[in-house]
Amino acid sequence: MKFSYYPGCVMHGTAVEYGMSTLATCRTLGIDIVEIPDWNCCGALEVYPDMYLELALSARNAAIAEQTGFPMMTTCAICFHNVSKAYFAVNESEKAKDMINEALGDITYEGKVGIRHLLDILVSDYGLENVSAKVKRSLSELKVAPYYGCLLARPKEIARFDDPENPQFLDRLIGALGAVAVPFEHKMKCCGGSLLMSREDLAHHLSRNILEEAVNVGADCLVITCPMCNVLLDLQQKEIEKRYGITLNMPVLYFTQLIGLALGHKPKELGLDKNVVSTAGVLKKLGVD
Amino acid sequence: MNTIKAADFDPNFKFEIEKELGGEHLTKCFNCTGCTVGCPISEIEPAYNPRKAMRMAILGMKKELFESEIMWLCVSCYTCYDQCPQDVRITDVLNAMKNIAEREERMGHIKLESAKPAFDKEFVDSIKRHGEVYETGVVIAQIVKHQGIKRLLEYTPTGIFMLKKGKLSLIPKNIKGMKQIKNIFRVVRGKE
Repeated sequence: MKFSYYPGCVMHGTAVEYGMSTLATCRTLGIDIVEIPDWNCCGALEVYPDMYLELALSARNAAIAEQTGFPMMTTCAICFHNVSKAYFAVNESEKAKDMINEALGDITYEGKVGIRHLLDILVSDYGLENVSAKVKRSLSELKVAPYYGCLLARPKEIARFDDPENPQFLDRLIGALGAVAVPFEHKMKCCGGSLLMSREDLAHHLSRNILEEAVNVGADCLVITCPMCNVLLDLQQKEIEKRYGITLNMPVLYFTQLIGLALGHKPKELGLDKNVVSTAGVLKKLGVD
Repeated sequence: MNTIKAADFDPNFKFEIEKELGGEHLTKCFNCTGCTVGCPISEIEPAYNPRKAMRMAILGMKKELFESEIMWLCVSCYTCYDQCPQDVRITDVLNAMKNIAEREERMGHIKLESAKPAFDKEFVDSIKRHGEVYETGVVIAQIVKHQGIKRLLEYTPTGIFMLKKGKLSLIPKNIKGMKQIKNIFRVVRGKE
């Protein structure tokens, strides 16, 4: 199983632990990933008003991956959405394909190579029974709130995996790792990420709702698949506590960090010391130093 | 009572939107409110209502839309997009409207008040300069300009934690293919 890996900018920045745990878990699972050379930013959520620019920026990355012949893989839900959009645009419209390639100039994107999110690869291709077979550390004490966020399953015509209203991929993965996925009503509710820099009050309100449900259902941690959600739920958690005068103290783990723990990796290899809200409670529950 | 005057509207606005990538399906909207039910922002911010935004666009209330914060309150979660029975693709239509507004601002025709288009610009300009986004610079610039130095200083402990953990880069780094990035911007944005 081989993929061209598109980490996305945040894996070099705020989501460095996501990048570390992605590399560690893929290595242990035997998924061969090779970083695509000289990739660029997909424009994240901020490029959305200019769809032509959005498609062209992602098409450049896909064009580079296409030269390798292997499908692209990412763990960033936003990069996944943006490259998928370029892939479908090029495959569904000759006009869009011409426009995009005009912008690309000296490279061409044929639309042969698309992008997959690692969660989808694990469930749909690798097989959860094969993930279970590699589990070395028991997570049975752990109650996990699965949080999908927006772009992993929506819009359905772009994401094209799992159920957009009540997705199960992450719940099933958590179960396959031996942990308990708690029913979580906010699993598909937006964290407010794209408004953090303009309407912090609204972003905090939305994230507070998610974190409070995780606390109320007795989850030991929240598990996420998007680095933007991490900025709100982990990095901004203290700010949210301050704004509302509440205590949350909810550890937020990337799903690759949870897999890595089950596979027997040391916490440091997974960057668990880099999460803002301390993950010590989770590790203690698992009996890990 | 605060009434609207149809004679002041721009009847071409809906066609202008439909010409933008993503705006093509605007006039399929029959204003059923399916979008607003389930919108996470409508639940907490009365100023935002996607159904109303679609109606205003079809009526030609360009000035009212561009002078208010309405379209900048969309959080791009795509909930309404999936719920719409008419396949209006509301998130994309709103983005098409934002694109017209951001372009008119770049051309110096209007001034947008919201901090959201300012952040979009900060972010996209960083890609134009470096190929990768320079997260640290973009976020600091936005906080200083729109929330003030005091707010930035409040983030000092978080900043120090992130620096120690290697989660902040201090120097922007350009990708090798800057010529290709420049070409993308040149073709997409033309002579603007």
